Amino acid sequence: MISESVKETLEKINKSGLEGDVYGIESRNVTYSIKKGEISDISDSEEVGMGIRVQKDGKIGFAYCVPGKEERCVLKAKKLSKFSQELDLTFPSTKNVPDVKTFDAKIKRAMEGDEGIDLTQNMLEAANGVKKDIIPTGGGLKLMVGKIVVGNTSGTLLEEKKTKIVCGITATIKGEITSLTASEADCSRRLDLEVETVGKTAAKKVDSMRESSSIETGPQTVVMSPDAFSNILWFTLAQSISGENVRKSKSYFKGKLGESVADSNVNLLDDPTREWGMGSTGFDDEGVATSPLHIISDGILKNFLYDLKEGVRSNTESTGNGIRGNFKSPPQICDRNLVLTGGDNKTDSMFPKDGVYIDGVMGAHTSNPVSGDFSIVANPAWLIERGEKVGRLDGIMLSGNIHECLGRIELGNDHRRTYLQMGARDIKVELPSVRITEMSISSG
Amino acid sequence: MTLKKIVDVLTDKGANFCDIRKERWESTLLTLKDGKIERMVSGEEEGAMVRVLFQNGWGCVGTSALERLNDAAERALGMAKQNDRFKSEETGLASIEPYTGKSYMPAEIKFEDVSFEEKMSFMDELHGSLQRDHVKTIDIHYKDSVVQKEIVNSEGTHVEMQIPRLITYMIITGKNNGRIQQASEGVGGTGGYELKEGVYEKVDTVLNRLHDLLEAEAAPSGKLPLIMDHHLTGVFVHEAFGHAAEADLVVSGNSCLENKLGEMVAGENVTIIDDPTFPGYGSFPYDDEGTKTRRRVLVDAGKLNDYIMDRESAWKLGLEPNGGARAEDFRVKPIVRMSNTLLKARDMKMDELLEGVDRGIYARSSSGGQVSPAQGTFQFNAQVAYLIEDGELTKPLRDVSFSGFTLDTLKNIVGITDEMKTGVGHCGKGQTAAVSDGGPQVLISEVTVGGR
Ligand SMILES: [Zn+2]
Repeated sequence: MISESVKETLEKINKSGLEGDVYGIESRNVTYSIKKGEISDISDSEEVGMGIRVQKDGKIGFAYCVPGKEERCVLKAKKLSKFSQELDLTFPSTKNVPDVKTFDAKIKRAMEGDEGIDLTQNMLEAANGVKKDIIPTGGGLKLMVGKIVVGNTSGTLLEEKKTKIVCGITATIKGEITSLTASEADCSRRLDLEVETVGKTAAKKVDSMRESSSIETGPQTVVMSPDAFSNILWFTLAQSISGENVRKSKSYFKGKLGESVADSNVNLLDDPTREWGMGSTGFDDEGVATSPLHIISDGILKNFLYDLKEGVRSNTESTGNGIRGNFKSPPQICDRNLVLTGGDNKTDSMFPKDGVYIDGVMGAHTSNPVSGDFSIVANPAWLIERGEKVGRLDGIMLSGNIHECLGRIELGNDHRRTYLQMGARDIKVELPSVRITEMSISSG
Repeated sequence: MTLKKIVDVLTDKGANFCDIRKERWESTLLTLKDGKIERMVSGEEEGAMVRVLFQNGWGCVGTSALERLNDAAERALGMAKQNDRFKSEETGLASIEPYTGKSYMPAEIKFEDVSFEEKMSFMDELHGSLQRDHVKTIDIHYKDSVVQKEIVNSEGTHVEMQIPRLITYMIITGKNNGRIQQASEGVGGTGGYELKEGVYEKVDTVLNRLHDLLEAEAAPSGKLPLIMDHHLTGVFVHEAFGHAAEADLVVSGNSCLENKLGEMVAGENVTIIDDPTFPGYGSFPYDDEGTKTRRRVLVDAGKLNDYIMDRESAWKLGLEPNGGARAEDFRVKPIVRMSNTLLKARDMKMDELLEGVDRGIYARSSSGGQVSPAQGTFQFNAQVAYLIEDGELTKPLRDVSFSGFTLDTLKNIVGITDEMKTGVGHCGKGQTAAVSDGGPQVLISEVTVGGR
C-alpha cells in the first residue's frame, strides 16, 4: 500500500513540473514488557507515513503526511521551499543496490502468533532460575517489521523489507537499603536470539555483584564491555565524523584527514552492507546505494559521512549516509552500521593485574560531542585484583577524552552487535571489549 | 463508530476496563544554522491508542489508521487475553470519579496566527544578537506544537483538552588553543508564541558561559562540596530524586524509595514538589488516563510524602491517583512521568553558601543526566563549573559531571537560597516527555566529582 502512495506522489510532483523525492514507511512493532518477574503488558504500535521533498528553483521544501493527504502535502512542501537556501540537489538515479539481508519472515510470524510471548517467557524463566533472590524487575522483548520505500523524480524507486528483534532484562537483588541491579540485552534482525542466555547472563551478572570493593581516586587500567564502550564511542565520536560538522569546524577531526588519529590497530568502518547488521541497508533514506565506508583505517583518518545536501555544500558526493529518524524528519547525516575492529587480543587475557572492569555506563549522552571529553558513571563496575574480577565498585566515575583513549586502546576478539534506542536515535555499533590504560577514576 | 461505541463493544466482550486516547498534533520545527534556514518542518498527524484490561492482562494498540480503529480495539483485546494467560499477579485501577470536561490551555498569540516569515525573522534577530568575536557557530532551534486530545473510558470519563507548547534554544561554539567548546540555553513552556520573548534574557548568559568555557581547565576528581545554580538544582532533583518517586518503578521493585512513605529521606530543609498545574513546559490539565492533575508534595520537610502515580500503580499502593500518566504520543501507552519538578526555596543568600566552602565546585546549567532508580545511583553533568577556594570563585572548569546516591545525597543538602528559577528539558524513559525543573541555588556538602 505504501508503495502505491509513494508512486502516486512522485507522479504528482512530476506533473507540477517540480523535482523531488518521497520516503515512505509502513511498520509495526509489538512489545512484551516485563515487570516484577512477569510480562506486565503487550503493546502494539503501527506507523504509516511519508516524507516529501520538492525542489523548486533549486530550493528544497519538506513536509510529511499520512497516505491520502499527498496532494496538500506536496503543495505545502512547495510553499516552504521558497524559504530555504538555493542548493540545486541532483536526485540520484539509482538502479542497482547491494543485496543486503535485512528481513526474516520468521519474525513476522512470531509477531502474529504466540512465539513472541513464548520467547519473552523463556528469557524470564532463565533469569528466574539462577537464584531465588534474583528477580527480573524490568526489560522486555520487541519485534519489529517494516517496509521502506524511497523514490525520486530521477526515476529511482526502491523498496526494502526489514525485521528486528531486541530483548533485554534487568535482574535485581533487593537489599535492606538499596538494591543491586544488572542488565543484559541482545539484538538481531533474525529470529536467532538466544533469549535464555540473555536472561541467565543478567541474573549471573547481578549475582557477581554481592561483594563490594573500593578503590582510590586516580588513574587505572580499565576493561570495558562492548555495551559500555559503544555508548561512550557513539556520543563522543558520531558528531565529529559528519561532513557537515567538519565543514563548520564543529568536529575534532577537522583538518586531520590522512593523519593518525588512533592506535595503528584501530579500524572504524561504517558498513551497511554487512549481513544482518542492525543498521544494514541496501540504500539510504535518500535512495543512494550503500557501500562500506572506511572512517579510520589502521589508525589513519580516511573519510567523513555525507548526505546529498552536504555533498553539494562540501563539493563531494553523498556517501549514502542520509538517514531519517522517522518519516516526519528530513534526512540528516548519520552513521548506519558502525564496526570497530583491530588487534584481536583474546578478551580473557586482557584483564590487567590490577584495574577496573566496566560493564555499563550512565550519562554518556552528556559527553562533549565536539571535543570528545566525557565524565560519566561506571555502573556496573568491578575491581580487578590479580587479574580477576573481585567485588563491585559503587558509584565510581570515569572521565577522559575519546581521542586520547583511541591512541592507547586495545581491542578484544569478542565482537558483538550493540543496539540502543535513545529518543529518535538508533545507536548501533559492532565492537569487542576494549582495554584502555591510565583512565581517570573517581572513587564513589 | 464513536469512541464511546468502541469502548462499549469492548466492555460487552468482557474487558474489565478500556480506554481510547485520540490525538491530533500540529507542529512546526525550524533550525537556523549560522544564519541560514537549515530545517523547516511543518505538519500534522492524528491517531489513537486503545488500551484494554482483561482480567489481569493488558493489551495496548496505537495506530494512525483511525478508520480501522475497530480492528485496533479487537487486537488490543486479543493481546490483553494473551497477556492474562501468562500473568499471576493481580492488577487493577484505583477508582476515580469519572471526569468529563474540556480544558484548553491558553495561548496569548496562537502559533497558527504567526507566519513563517515572522518566525524566521525572530530567529534571525536572535542570531544577530549572538554574534561576537569568540562565537564561531550559532545554531538556533525553534519548535511549536499544539496537541488536541480526547480521552474516553469504560467508566464514563470523557475529557477533551488542548495543549500548546513552545521551546526555543541556541547552541553556540567557539575555539581556543585548538579546543572547541559549546554552550546552550533555551526557554519553553505551555502557551503561545509570546513565550519566545524569554530567550533574549538568556543571550548574555550563554555568551558568558562560552567565554568562560574557552578559558576553562579540567576539573579535579574526588569527593567535594558542590554549589548548584538554579537549573542544575532542577536537573539534580529530577535525576537524583524524581525518577525514584515514579510509582510504576516503586511497585515493580525498581525504586530505592519503595516502602519509605512517611520516612525521613532528606533533611528538614528539603521540600520537593512535582506540579503539572505550575506554569511550565511540563504542564497539563488532565493526564493521559483522563485523571485531573494536581500538585504533589513528594518530600515535605524531609519526609517522603507522596509518589507520582497513574491509576494502576495507585491501586497497587492503595493510594489515590494524582494524574501522573503521560504518553509521548498516540503510538505508545502512558507511563508514570514527572511534570514540573521543583525544590522549594529557603532563606539563605548565595554569599552565605560560598562562605562555608574552603575548596569545592560551583556548577551551572546542565545538558542532562541519568539515574538507576533501584540502586539510587545518579549522574548529572554541568555545562560549566568554577573552582571555589576559600569561598571565592577562582577559575572556570569544563566537562565535569557529578554522581552520588539518592538517599545519602538528599541528606547532604546543607544550604538553600531564597530565590528560585526554572529551566526546560526533555526527559527520556523509553519515551520522551516535555518537563520543567528548577529551584534555588543549593549547597551539597559532598558529591563525587568526575574530573581528571
Ligand atoms: Zn528524566
